[in-house]
Amino acid sequence: MTEAFDVAVVGAGVMGATTALHLARAGMRTALIDRGAICREASGVNAGTLTLHMTRAVLIPYAIRGRQLWLDAPDWLGMDAGARATPGLSVAFTPAERDMLEHRAAARRAEGAPIELVTPAQARAIEPGLNGDIIAAAHCALDGHVTAYLTGRAYRRALVAAGATLMEQHPVAGIDRAGGQFAIRVAGQPAVRARRLVLAGGVWLEAMLGWLGLHVPVKCLINQLVVTERMRPVMRSVLGIANGLLSLKQFENGTVLIGGGWQGIGDPARGGVEAIPDNLIGNVRLARAAIPALAEGRVARIWLGLESETADALPMIGPLPGIGDAYVIGCVHSGYTSGPFMGKLLADHILDREPELPLFDPARLVQPQRAATLEKTP
Amino acid sequence: MNGRATDLVVVGAGPAGAAAAMQAAALGVRTVLLEDEAAAGGQVYRAPATTRDMARSPERRQGDALRAALAGSSVQVEHGQKVWSVSGQYRVDVLGPQGPGHWQAPALIVATGALERVVPFPGWTLPGVVGLAAATILLKAHGMAPGERTLVAGAGPLLAAVAVGIVKAGGKVAAVVDLATPGEWAACLPAMAGRPDLLARGAGWLARLRLAGVPILTGHALAAVAATPDGLRATVQPVDSLGRPIPGGAATSFEVDAVAVGHGLIPSTDVTRLLRVEHWFDPASVTWRPALDAGFRTTRAGVYVAGDGGGVLGVAAAGLQGRLAGLAVALDLGRLSQVQHDARAEKLRRKLARAARFGAAMARMMAPRPGQFAAIPADAIVCRCEDVTRAEIEEAAAEGACEVNQLKAWTRCGMGPCQGRVCGDTAAALLAQFHASDRETTGLFTGRTPLRPLPLDQLTGEYGYADITLPPPAPL
Amino acid sequence: MPQRVDFSFDGVPLTGWAGDNLAAALMQAGTRRLRDSPRAGQARGAFCLMGSCQECIVWVDGARREACRTTLHAGMAIRSGTIADVAV
Repeated sequence: MTEAFDVAVVGAGVMGATTALHLARAGMRTALIDRGAICREASGVNAGTLTLHMTRAVLIPYAIRGRQLWLDAPDWLGMDAGARATPGLSVAFTPAERDMLEHRAAARRAEGAPIELVTPAQARAIEPGLNGDIIAAAHCALDGHVTAYLTGRAYRRALVAAGATLMEQHPVAGIDRAGGQFAIRVAGQPAVRARRLVLAGGVWLEAMLGWLGLHVPVKCLINQLVVTERMRPVMRSVLGIANGLLSLKQFENGTVLIGGGWQGIGDPARGGVEAIPDNLIGNVRLARAAIPALAEGRVARIWLGLESETADALPMIGPLPGIGDAYVIGCVHSGYTSGPFMGKLLADHILDREPELPLFDPARLVQPQRAATLEKTP
Repeated sequence: MNGRATDLVVVGAGPAGAAAAMQAAALGVRTVLLEDEAAAGGQVYRAPATTRDMARSPERRQGDALRAALAGSSVQVEHGQKVWSVSGQYRVDVLGPQGPGHWQAPALIVATGALERVVPFPGWTLPGVVGLAAATILLKAHGMAPGERTLVAGAGPLLAAVAVGIVKAGGKVAAVVDLATPGEWAACLPAMAGRPDLLARGAGWLARLRLAGVPILTGHALAAVAATPDGLRATVQPVDSLGRPIPGGAATSFEVDAVAVGHGLIPSTDVTRLLRVEHWFDPASVTWRPALDAGFRTTRAGVYVAGDGGGVLGVAAAGLQGRLAGLAVALDLGRLSQVQHDARAEKLRRKLARAARFGAAMARMMAPRPGQFAAIPADAIVCRCEDVTRAEIEEAAAEGACEVNQLKAWTRCGMGPCQGRVCGDTAAALLAQFHASDRETTGLFTGRTPLRPLPLDQLTGEYGYADITLPPPAPL
Repeated sequence: MPQRVDFSFDGVPLTGWAGDNLAAALMQAGTRRLRDSPRAGQARGAFCLMGSCQECIVWVDGARREACRTTLHAGMAIRSGTIADVAV
């Protein structure tokens, strides 16, 4: 039998990959296991928005640090994943949206986001591509974007350099606990043995926690994302609408990414199944309302990204209750932005270093009645 | 947005789609046939774009007959409809002259035909270099050759068809450059014997080319095309049976102003990949094909594929497959009993077997040879949309990209507006060669909406902010 | 009867058959370079002529269209489909 790993991380998205990277760099023998390729689910297909305008208010301190890590990626990750700082704007077209904008900006400002209300004229000075019909706007200096599809390539290089063992195309079938170790059963492969376990499976965390007898409901959102073909520069900010239903940015290559959480069809079992055409048209109309020059472009591709959410819409990051040496990380709203920071927080906790900000105790989310029955299973 | 219900939607009005639609409609199935072009016929029976005089051909006559039959049928033919999404069970979204709209039907026949494969070589991106299939379109629809002096290169029966078409249209053919040798063609004869008409036509083409003094270089490949002050210089070289350049083989150059090149046809699987039906890799034709039963049903209930989109077997097979798929739809929708269905299907299946034998032989002649992919120079562009070279693909492969969708994310290969239709096959073949893996491992680009790029102005139309139906706001 | 009509490409006056698609009409008029590729800046022209490859994208009276999927009418002002000012 091969020697047990110090830690096995199941789920090679940005949460799991960051945790694994820091643990490997700290000298732990680390296995990172995924049923597919690294960062090919939410971490590779999200909109890459670095914005505080859409971040849950209480997560703002985390998002600010995560954003900085993305911008500094060449230094600590070793590759530029295309992170760029840009101004961020949230705009309102109607009085109701203006009220929402003012209320939300105030709440986020209270949590440390440098969001200020600006006049429509000031907003247009920041973003000349903006529609003149907006009636209010809020500006955040700490916004930007990342080229999400490069995430896997960047993390893979770093993990290989750090000596982590990357097990892609390794679908985990279950986890047993024996002799103070975790035995991670992989279809068609010998079990991977490890002294510590980190579950980082995004929308699949409900199923993964079930392997350990813990019942934690995880809701799955199916976000539709839209990208145009390359077009001339038509905008330079990260742009949203007060209601959070639009996120818009133009990358250096000229493509414009249109998001905002419009839903498609899918579920954790099947992944993203299909885009909803009417939701595409609504989302793109909203985008064109914000940046009229988008009318010149063409929609090149639509895809779906799965986003996870707990019952209280806050993350679970920390030790699993009643199971020693097992941890979970995930369900972070705007998780891509804060991911590099969240993974570092959990790695610090596992390494007995003082985390810079508090974790998010998963115990609060465990449904007790089902957990009690399942804990008896071997 | 207007949405209309019917019994059957057929996508693509080529020989397969038109036959399928007419067969189903004749049995009482309400049928809508969607076509992007202004006239039915597909590429083989392509209609002339204008009324000006063009050379007559058997395809033109057969195409006119098909269009007349369609006009006289109860099929509702909708032209100028770009199908961009298929969802639900089944909603087909189109972008037409009146903007976006959709159709709803329990049955869907995908008859989107084939795409042309061109294995990259230096200069294949130059203006003036077109596909063989593109050349047939210029000849049939516009009565013109791709240039004044054209080099015709690649593999398969389109070579002679295009070369003769150019000669008839008054153009010059610098040479026909065929990967295959006369021996390889001769080996096909048994399979072709079932179609003496086509065999005779092929012989006639060769005679016509000889008469016109067109050099025919067999066992040769187009190695490179370069731009010159006056046009293009095409360099060809002898290759072995695996498509590898023969060491020391004498290269020949031709001064031309156009090159028509193609290395066979690939089933157009955009719709079936989007619908996630099962596909299988066919090593004989080196193509991915949707898995189909005898009624051309896919692995998804209510979705059928007829014609080259299910596997390239040519126009005769396509029409027969269309009729069989139409019968299967009528059976599945309860318009025919099993006995009635079988009585009609049996004769068609016998004819299809004959047509398919010929088609499969042609598909094998068009199949790419491994040496063609190996011969792509490192700095040659593979993905034309994003200018991704072979070297960049292999750099990503060396870093751990094993599968085409991962490659796409790491390099943008296949991420441009053609959505990977042009580069996907080559990228997968290169990955498989690099890792010594197989095409099942390197996979297929995931099907994505929209099936073709959508101009935002047409998609969004004229609207006011209040016209946008907004979902509930995101939580704070 | 088919008609010859005037149109233009990047301001250069051309003539073609009304009803032809733009890709064929431009080719017949001797205009082959329809755009430059966005990353390498290489000249590109019509390639597949069946709406698949997207190489023949041009601006037609200000709208971005596939030349091989657009019918020529009198007076059309066509511009090169090159996208300027984008990075690799």
